[in-house]
Amino acid sequence: MEDVICTFCGSVCDDGEFDAEKKKVKKFCRLGSAKFSEKERIKAPMVDGKEVSYETAIEKAAEILVNAKKPLLYGWASTANEAIRLGVILAEKLRGVYDQCASVCHAPGTLAVIEEGLPGATLGSVKNRADVVVFWGSNPAEAHPRHGMRYSISAKGLLIKDRKQRKVVVFDVRPTKTAKMADLFIQVKPGYDYAVISALRAILSGNADVVPSEVGGVAKEKLLQLAEMMKNAKYGAIFYGLGVTQSRGRDRNVENAIKLIQLLNRTTRWIIWPMRGHYNVVGAGEVPAWEVGYQYAIDFSRGYPRFSPAEFSAVEVLKRKDCDAALIVASDPAAHFPAAAVKHLKQIPVIQIDPFPNMTTLLAKVVIPSAVYGIEAEGTAYRMDGIPLRVKKILETSYWTDEKILEEILKRVEKLKG
Amino acid sequence: MIVIKPKKYFEVCIEAELTPELATKSMEEVKKFKVYYGNRVVELGELFEVTKTGDEKKLVLEGDFSRVKWIGARMADGEIIVKGSVGANCGAFMKGGRIVIEGNADDWLGIEMSGGEIIVKGNAANLVGCAYYGDAVGMTAGKILIEGNAGNYIGEKMNGGEIVIKGNAGDFVGTEMRAGVIEIHGSCGFVGGDMRGGEIRIKGKFELLPTFRKTEKGWVGDVNVKGEGVVKSL
Amino acid sequence: MLWIKNGIVIDPKNKIKAEKMDIFVKNGKIVPEGEVKREECRVIDASGKLVVAGGVDMHAHIAGSKINTGRTMRPEEMRVVRNVAGKFRAAVGRVLLTAPAIGYEYAKMGYTTSFEAAQPPIGALHTHEELDAIPMIDKAALPVFGNWHLVFKCIEEKNLEKLKTLIAWAIERSKGFGVKVVNPGGVEAWMYGGNVKSLDDQVPGFNVTPREIITMLIKANEELGLPHSVHLHCNNLGVPGNFQTTIESIKLAKGFSNSKRQVLHVTHVQFNAYAGSSWRDAASGAAEIAKVVNSMDNVTIDMGQPIFGHATAMTGDAPFQFTLHKLTGARWSNKDTEVETGAGIVPLVYLPNNPVHALQWAIGLELGLLVDSNKVALTTDYPNGGPFTEYPYVMAMLMSRKMREGELSKVNAYVQKATGLASIDVEKTLYEIINMTRSLPARILGLQNKGHLGIGADADIAIYNLNPLETDTSKDFEKVYKAFKSAEYTIKSGEIISRNGEIVKEVFGRTFWVDARKKVDMEAVMNDIRDYFQYYSVQLGNYGVEERWIKKPERLEVV
Repeated sequence: MEDVICTFCGSVCDDGEFDAEKKKVKKFCRLGSAKFSEKERIKAPMVDGKEVSYETAIEKAAEILVNAKKPLLYGWASTANEAIRLGVILAEKLRGVYDQCASVCHAPGTLAVIEEGLPGATLGSVKNRADVVVFWGSNPAEAHPRHGMRYSISAKGLLIKDRKQRKVVVFDVRPTKTAKMADLFIQVKPGYDYAVISALRAILSGNADVVPSEVGGVAKEKLLQLAEMMKNAKYGAIFYGLGVTQSRGRDRNVENAIKLIQLLNRTTRWIIWPMRGHYNVVGAGEVPAWEVGYQYAIDFSRGYPRFSPAEFSAVEVLKRKDCDAALIVASDPAAHFPAAAVKHLKQIPVIQIDPFPNMTTLLAKVVIPSAVYGIEAEGTAYRMDGIPLRVKKILETSYWTDEKILEEILKRVEKLKG
Repeated sequence: MIVIKPKKYFEVCIEAELTPELATKSMEEVKKFKVYYGNRVVELGELFEVTKTGDEKKLVLEGDFSRVKWIGARMADGEIIVKGSVGANCGAFMKGGRIVIEGNADDWLGIEMSGGEIIVKGNAANLVGCAYYGDAVGMTAGKILIEGNAGNYIGEKMNGGEIVIKGNAGDFVGTEMRAGVIEIHGSCGFVGGDMRGGEIRIKGKFELLPTFRKTEKGWVGDVNVKGEGVVKSL
Repeated sequence: MLWIKNGIVIDPKNKIKAEKMDIFVKNGKIVPEGEVKREECRVIDASGKLVVAGGVDMHAHIAGSKINTGRTMRPEEMRVVRNVAGKFRAAVGRVLLTAPAIGYEYAKMGYTTSFEAAQPPIGALHTHEELDAIPMIDKAALPVFGNWHLVFKCIEEKNLEKLKTLIAWAIERSKGFGVKVVNPGGVEAWMYGGNVKSLDDQVPGFNVTPREIITMLIKANEELGLPHSVHLHCNNLGVPGNFQTTIESIKLAKGFSNSKRQVLHVTHVQFNAYAGSSWRDAASGAAEIAKVVNSMDNVTIDMGQPIFGHATAMTGDAPFQFTLHKLTGARWSNKDTEVETGAGIVPLVYLPNNPVHALQWAIGLELGLLVDSNKVALTTDYPNGGPFTEYPYVMAMLMSRKMREGELSKVNAYVQKATGLASIDVEKTLYEIINMTRSLPARILGLQNKGHLGIGADADIAIYNLNPLETDTSKDFEKVYKAFKSAEYTIKSGEIISRNGEIVKEVFGRTFWVDARKKVDMEAVMNDIRDYFQYYSVQLGNYGVEERWIKKPERLEVV
């Protein structure tokens, strides 16, 4: 099958070729290929470690969720929009909390969008037009292996016919694999991105004299050189990653970078965009935005949505012991969350919906295995730049989809609540 | 004066918009005051022991209130004493009166405060005296005093009032500040980003952004917003 | 089955001017009395009440990527709680609303159809997901063509057949409804940091001008015989002096004719009706535009009325949005979209004391008053001008000079010299206003079964607590406003969904899309498309929306 869409990282490459006999996919990178090859699966639904039917597991899950005073529904970044929508509606019905993976990755970007807006573009615009591309705190060579060849580094387009017509800059705390592919590498002292961006803004707005001889480990000359390159670009793009969102400064780093982009757009064209990790983390934020007004950290205790990352991000909710049950969909908080949060997760009943076993499976009271979107189930996902793609069903399965499982849970919940 | 004590361990956080106004009500009304226990609406009397002594407009919260949020929200007068730590959003949108926290405070202390006084004997967390998500202006008047340390995001978008931190603070002190005074007796991180006005005084070490001009007044900036804010040593 | 008894019906399409009439509904349609059994009918006593078709909003931004980015940017908008979750969904929003809120608010007001005004073709699936999430109303989306490279290429080659085929292909792939054009050529110019300033500016990188884009799209649209005409957001939006460009653009319709409807619909004209040379001497060009529109029989417009209070500017006119950001210093979002289009978002507030805002407000009203009622539809270009929930304000203002006088006394006096609003005596009648909000928008869109109460029409009906025979709409504007704010009954496809401003039943409407493939030979353009797809970042095989992905699609075939 052709035009197969990868459901691993935010690049969501859609040029895969699936060999039905060998059950392997061609053209995808090693990360995508791994997703499309045979993997260990959760065999059957389980309650307290015992195999049960889907119906029984769903019944138990609904019971736990309805009895909770504050259920946390978390994950969502690796499932399709159809399932996410049901998750949001379920959280609203249960008057619990909806949060998604972005809260530990790119949420700072969302906070920055709230402060300043998002001057962006789709990946095709970058491929066609960008003569300067900056990777800030992002290492696509390792995390988004085909991003460069499809969209941002060696990708050729309407105006950029040759790699030499594009300058690639890497801004990071250490020379990364991507830095080796770049035309310019600037090393910044960890925790000083914010200061460096402020300095660049000052230089570009005619206040270079105020900037000291060195900012965040970067010499002023280097900053002047970078500023000049940015000013002279015809169409520039900053792609930023967790190096910026999960280090000192977080949302203020991104906000500052956006202000830099606003300034640059007065004389030339620049865009900025986050390098989203999971293939549908964008959907995990867009779906709740249209359903209830916010992208993450949403509390429904009062029967209407309230947004407060400092209080309702999954990690915050767990750290404050502010939830008494959890539904984890397509995610592994037990492996990724800080110890204090995982400690509380171990104390409460956890329901997991996932195709694959992980650390969270070990502490889940109810485990419901599901089909893999993009392989065993069809659904809508949004690429890192928001472009919607319909991932395909290429193999048959007897596993239920996340959508079906959540639909059934919702029905039981509605019945229990009367 | 009303004394409120938790009756038991709370399985999830409580949201209780308790203000000194409550002390003017009868015991019946106080016990029936609605609070949120997760998604359950519950009467105050179910979760807390309540005793009344006299008619002073004062609430004394005794015990661990670290998971009780929104204490003192929108209060206009009177006094709240927390003999312990307090949860998030304490003193949010406060207009007047006084809150004393003997323990620590959680995030979002004194959101968009427009009058009154908050004193924290212990430490505060992040987002002290800031503007709430998406709002344009933060604290406009009043005073917040923290005897211990504070976290990140202090006095963002401040347009008046005073914040004093006797200990250390984290990053992003006075971001987008327009007026008011922030005083830090210890050390802190990034100071004055996109500052337009107001004054920040720091005794210890701090990291001024590379966008300030040195003058006799102190450091003036942020030049990126043609700001006239002043950052100086205390 | 429904029997709406003794109501006073106004149905401009069928020339019914406030007549006492019974309406019968069966299987979601309006039927003759003979087709129902009176005993089996649910009876609605509409004595002394106004009965009209459900409102048709022909231009609103209700679904898609830019609407959602607008929501994400503005959490402060989402703190207004309109409905606590219970029997129905939670609904929040001040001017920007969540999908459930959009459906509920239209329903409460007696509106039953709304069209998303600008859909980026590559993002069509997102638009449809959001449309599907909106309850109550019937809906559709208009894909944008004015800055699409594929369109430019057909026009460069002067190949009308290819252009027609491209349009048919694009509308099918996006499951869209018609041809929307936004700042033709200007958004492509923005990719280089610029804009177009006149109809004859050359679009950078292509041998085409806005004039050619508009004219050829009209030609292609008319030869295809699509239900809706070209729907144009003119160049130079928001620029003082732009009324000239608007008039020039309107005149491009000369030479075309269509017996069923207009050949060109120009949208939110208020934003394109400024005289003067800068914001210091800006004035109204509404009268000049009204004169031209009234003199032509093949052009329609809609108002784009600003409402004082919060709003959010969101359009495909990316360069304009950046200009607005520079002017106001407000937050700004932008989305350059592959080789198709762009978008921009900037929050704003219209203040009555601000001379520019007052001017804009006055101009919108001037257009509504001066243009013939069968040529101007009522809109606020939601959320650019303001909330659609304030359509009743606009309706009442157009019918009452007294109300306008009261409002004029509260706004900046600049409008006294910069516009003619204060001296306009016109008071539109209720019949005309119902036309401007029902029959006319339905006709403009080419929706045969909407906007009227004739036999065979969809049973989308609104009953208002207003007796047209006893109400002086010139004097009783408060009553008029209140009545239209919440319908006493809103009926959708024969089901009562709202009563006195309260939702009583949640239903989901249909998504209309137009299939014109039989009118063309698809192969005429496929090679060009395949070739140009090298400049896209998705595969051609993954481009487009399949009908089965939409919950309740309704295909309108063009034969």
